[in-house]
Amino acid sequence: MKGTVAKSIPLITLVGPPNSGKTTLFNLLSGKNYRTVNYPGSTVEYSTSNFSAKYNLNAEILDSPGIISLIPNSPDEKVSVDSLFFHPRLGSPDIVICTIDASQLSRHLLLVLQLIESHFKLIVVLTMNDILSKKKLEVSAEKLSSYLDCDVIKVDGRSGNGIPNVIDAVNKNLNELNENSKVKPKPYTAESGKQGLIDFYNRIETITDEVLSDVPGNGKIDLAKANKQLKIISTPYVGKKNSPDELTLKIDRILLHKFWGILIFVLIMGITFSSIFWLADPVMGLVDSAFSYLAQFTIYILGHNWLSNLLADGLISGLGSVMVFVPQIVILFLILGILEDTGYLARGAMLIDKPLSKIGLNGRSFVPMLSGFACAIPAMLAARTIPNRRERLLTIFVIPLMSCSARLPVYALLIAYLTPSDKPWIGGFLLASIYIFSIITSVTVAAIINKFRKKLIKAEDNSSFILELPTYKIPKPITLFRNTYSSTKQYIFRAGPVILVFSLVIWFLTFFPNVSPQIDTHNKTEDEIVQMERSERLETSYAADLGKGIQPFMTPIGMDWRIGVALISAFVAREVFVSSLALIFKVTDKSNDIQSSLLSSMNKAEIQNSGKKLFTTSTIVGLIVFFVFALQCLSTVAVSRKETGSWRIPALQLVIFTSLAYLMTFITVNGLRFLGVN
Amino acid sequence: MKTAAELKFGEKVKINDIDTSNPSHQRIIEFGFTPGQEIELVSKAAFDDPLAFSVRGSLIAMRKKEAGCIIVS
Repeated sequence: MKGTVAKSIPLITLVGPPNSGKTTLFNLLSGKNYRTVNYPGSTVEYSTSNFSAKYNLNAEILDSPGIISLIPNSPDEKVSVDSLFFHPRLGSPDIVICTIDASQLSRHLLLVLQLIESHFKLIVVLTMNDILSKKKLEVSAEKLSSYLDCDVIKVDGRSGNGIPNVIDAVNKNLNELNENSKVKPKPYTAESGKQGLIDFYNRIETITDEVLSDVPGNGKIDLAKANKQLKIISTPYVGKKNSPDELTLKIDRILLHKFWGILIFVLIMGITFSSIFWLADPVMGLVDSAFSYLAQFTIYILGHNWLSNLLADGLISGLGSVMVFVPQIVILFLILGILEDTGYLARGAMLIDKPLSKIGLNGRSFVPMLSGFACAIPAMLAARTIPNRRERLLTIFVIPLMSCSARLPVYALLIAYLTPSDKPWIGGFLLASIYIFSIITSVTVAAIINKFRKKLIKAEDNSSFILELPTYKIPKPITLFRNTYSSTKQYIFRAGPVILVFSLVIWFLTFFPNVSPQIDTHNKTEDEIVQMERSERLETSYAADLGKGIQPFMTPIGMDWRIGVALISAFVAREVFVSSLALIFKVTDKSNDIQSSLLSSMNKAEIQNSGKKLFTTSTIVGLIVFFVFALQCLSTVAVSRKETGSWRIPALQLVIFTSLAYLMTFITVNGLRFLGVN
Repeated sequence: MKTAAELKFGEKVKINDIDTSNPSHQRIIEFGFTPGQEIELVSKAAFDDPLAFSVRGSLIAMRKKEAGCIIVS
């Protein structure tokens, strides 16, 4: 089947160096059926779409990750280059549109020349012409077109000027393709060594000298302006062409300053994480109340029976426990997007490269690790941008230790239990401490794994860090919202079904086989009867049978089988812990929301046959410690397997992190008790 | 023989040659560091590593070790 993917409509692939306005062009051209599987850090994975209906053009458009050359340098770039020649699903492109930044013409033409050498049907789109005109320079699209022997079109990404010309060029090129038989692109084989590249650049310099020219004056007599222009003319042309954006240099003098740069970096990270909590809190309260109202309403309509129980406790509470932290995820993705689009993330990576390289990581590990605070899955995918295999594997190794958003509902519940209602600041303080603790933990673990890397990681190659620092820009809201929307949607659709299924499984295990327990109903109110029936049903349930097997592991850490069942169910996904606890301990009662009723029943819970309280300060802190270390997420294990190419690393992660979690919990609970904290 | 790793803040120089014994030399050339180009050291991170250079109108950050393969006059 190679080379013969069935294709009814033409494929147009967008390529271009990073920050060349490629995604902006894609957004301008694409229509309604836009799909993407992308992750923070870059546009890796593909976005595809049809053309917007207003262009009346029947073709598929594909946005590929940014590359600077056809010679790949990281797994990420290899995928991009390979699928440019032959996309596994879409085949070879009929037309390639290459975006290049006019203000960085000489660097970006390298890719264009390589694409021409590979016989692609090429259209070049020149972006950022406004930045170039600030330098009082302009590119002649006509001259460049005759040098390259392909269409060259100027486009303004903000206003969309020039887009109709792109459409015309696409139509014209498609007609040419219909007349001539399609030339298959041949893999790039030109000399890739030093001299080959230098020769390319020599050709580029001849071209840029010809196509770049000064913006002619407008003839008005304005002395100040004339003087200014005179000054510019007196500076050598080459210097002007090659000077970076003035404002970016000025901002970098502060943001990359030895002292202020670090301070601002710490500040930005601090604001990022605290805003995830402060901004999301009110919305989360709303979502929580909505779902608990829905659960109570269901019981009110259907009465107390197995069906209402299944719907309220199994389905609605389970769903609610996923939806409740969607606000936090939206905010995290939004902030990451803003940092990325302004150009700050690249600076962050540069600032942190030296410290990270001390523990075997790389400045490029920064974005994946930061994304790990949202979710380990996109974070592991983002690690593909790390060219060095050892550093990439080590980054993937420690990503599960980043405090991902799935842990948030768990921490939120446990912290709420410890926080006195009159001192809410303690909750914020505790949460901040957990984050700092998890960062210290992951750094320590990375350093230790790095020491044993020959045995554990089994990869060694040249470590490198070369990164372009893009010109600072104001992010485009539409791109930002599109990316946030698709990341959030992906998250919900991945976590949602798993949680639903497990909520139902746990519900089944806790409800059967003793569906209608016999209890003494004498002198009892209806609520008390429901309460007693539930606890009797649970104690004789399948879950309880299962729990007997776990009890020996739970006793040393001061807990009982009920927490054990919740912990085991949390291995599917951490957030399941909360919905499982809710099912095991909670009664959908008449209090305000899911959390407060769960907290009050946790407060009442006792270790069986002992009269001692189950949830004490020491067991709660112990549970928090468990969640800091344990790798409880099936999807993460699966992605780790896929990204590292074998079961070695995911198996090591699972064994090391889980036994570490148990050990640290054991030490924490018994240490606290030894110190007199019960 | 002076390399880009030894530049002072704000120092502008021309590239003489690229040392091919450094494994990253190809990527460095791809980023536009070719003989004859003028480069300037524009920023240094804390601990003086990595360094950021201006070349062909862009800013490129790289480690000191890598800048060591850019031979300047």
